[in-house]
Amino acid sequence: MSARKKVSMVVGLAQSAIGAFATVFSYVLYHNFFGIQAVLNVPQGNLLLYMLVLIVFGSLSIISGLFLVNEQ
Amino acid sequence: MENLREKPSLKRELGLLHATMLGIGGAIEAGVFVMLGYAAGLAGTALIVALILCGVINFFTMCSYAELGSAIPKAGGEYTFAKAAYGGFVSFLTGWFEWISNMFYAALSAVGFSYIISYLIPVNVPLTAVLTIIVFTFINIRGVEEVGKSQTLMVGTLLAILIAFTLNGLAIPKTDAFQLSAPGGPLGVIQATAYIFVVYLGAEAIAVAQAEIKNPSKTIPRAILLSAIVLLVIYPLIAYAMFRIAPLEAISGQSSPLIYVAQLSMGDLGKVALVIAGTIAALSSVNTSIMAQSRVAYALSRDGYFPKALLRIHDKFSTPHVAVVVSAIFTTVLAATGVINFVGYATDFGFIIGFALVNLSLMKLRKEKPLLDRPFKTPLYPFTPIAGIVTSLFLLIFIDVGVLSLGIVLCILAVLAYYIRMVGYLRFRVAFGGISLGLGGFTLVLTHLIWTGSMPLNGVSPTTITSIVFILLLISAVQIVAGILNVTAKSS
Repeated sequence: MSARKKVSMVVGLAQSAIGAFATVFSYVLYHNFFGIQAVLNVPQGNLLLYMLVLIVFGSLSIISGLFLVNEQ
Repeated sequence: MENLREKPSLKRELGLLHATMLGIGGAIEAGVFVMLGYAAGLAGTALIVALILCGVINFFTMCSYAELGSAIPKAGGEYTFAKAAYGGFVSFLTGWFEWISNMFYAALSAVGFSYIISYLIPVNVPLTAVLTIIVFTFINIRGVEEVGKSQTLMVGTLLAILIAFTLNGLAIPKTDAFQLSAPGGPLGVIQATAYIFVVYLGAEAIAVAQAEIKNPSKTIPRAILLSAIVLLVIYPLIAYAMFRIAPLEAISGQSSPLIYVAQLSMGDLGKVALVIAGTIAALSSVNTSIMAQSRVAYALSRDGYFPKALLRIHDKFSTPHVAVVVSAIFTTVLAATGVINFVGYATDFGFIIGFALVNLSLMKLRKEKPLLDRPFKTPLYPFTPIAGIVTSLFLLIFIDVGVLSLGIVLCILAVLAYYIRMVGYLRFRVAFGGISLGLGGFTLVLTHLIWTGSMPLNGVSPTTITSIVFILLLISAVQIVAGILNVTAKSS
């Protein structure tokens, strides 16, 4: 495996993991698991916007990461 | 060499009774056991009206399913219809939403199952839902024998329990007359209609199972319309019986109002009977929808829209195991939320888009292929399909805002997935590299603003702010490096 492929694999996995984390975090934030809304002082009115931003960010990161993981 | 065996052809063994039961069984799932409480909170006792409205809206589109199911003699349901009518992006979009809706449907059934059994034994709802999906994923990988006639027996049992429950509710003597009440007004009734619409979904399974139905040109339309009518009669009656047994205030607070009401009127026997009925409904839906989503993913992959890896057939069990697992991963994430309302609305969203596309397919085929042999013709054309499109899309306005946001994201992903195939892998990868660079740059600016206090995070402790800054820096670095790697990618 070439150095570039190794780097792509590691960065791709990291980026996909960040995307997955952002997606899961949006659910955690929305449903206020572990009292996260109070910890981050998130206003109720902005919750849906944050959820949308996190899901879009997560989806794009996962797709981009998968491109790198699958590099031929 | 890739192992791409097709399944052997299936025998046509299902008559009108079995096909109708398939439709009724496809529709009666966990939703009716766990969603009526929240819907009653929205609509009051006018939930009965909401259920009738759902049934009528459903009936419009079932007429289109009946016509297309009899005119296009191929398995596959909505995706096949859209492919025959439009091809290209519309057929892909239909398949995409069919795939997504079945994932939501599986998650809804698994979460519903968890709530139902929580009436007998205390369980962790999200964990039980996830375990249910995992178990049924393995069952689907191993392959299940065709259940045709045993499905009839199961649905017959389910119907018998629900009819006994309804008759019991109707037989209870009441001194005061039943009154329709809608605390939320007409808006509440429409919101309940949008929420509860999911309980009618699934009857279109008859069109999907076309390959196993005897004399399909006659049996399919009859079975689809018959099951839609049976549901239109039985659901409002169930709600009416429920309101005769318990007051609205008690019902709207229940996680499973049917089981609660059965216990009130029939004691522990009623409770156990309804838990059994709910379990049959939920588990058969989980199984059917996991199977359906994997078959749709397989078909999309066969047509070149999804990666070829999803076409792999298991050497030992002859099932599309990669498609099953990939679909199950997404379903597990959805089931892990354990939030019935969100998943219920999301299921509605996917199916409503699918309904609109099926009606559009019918209209397109009527216009462009007028000589196509149609053993059944939708009555009052074009009023019926137009009414199907307008009424179902109207319900979208009242769907949860979070679900609509998710729906928009899913539409964007559908467009991306389609254009990856159309414009080529490398160009798309470069585009994603650019997006990653943008995300990385944006995250870096955000980090700077937070660190310098230009964007104050009021009420958040300094330690938490420091942690947030380090996490954002790491994310930014990964996004920028990933962007550079994707932008500089070369064709292999």
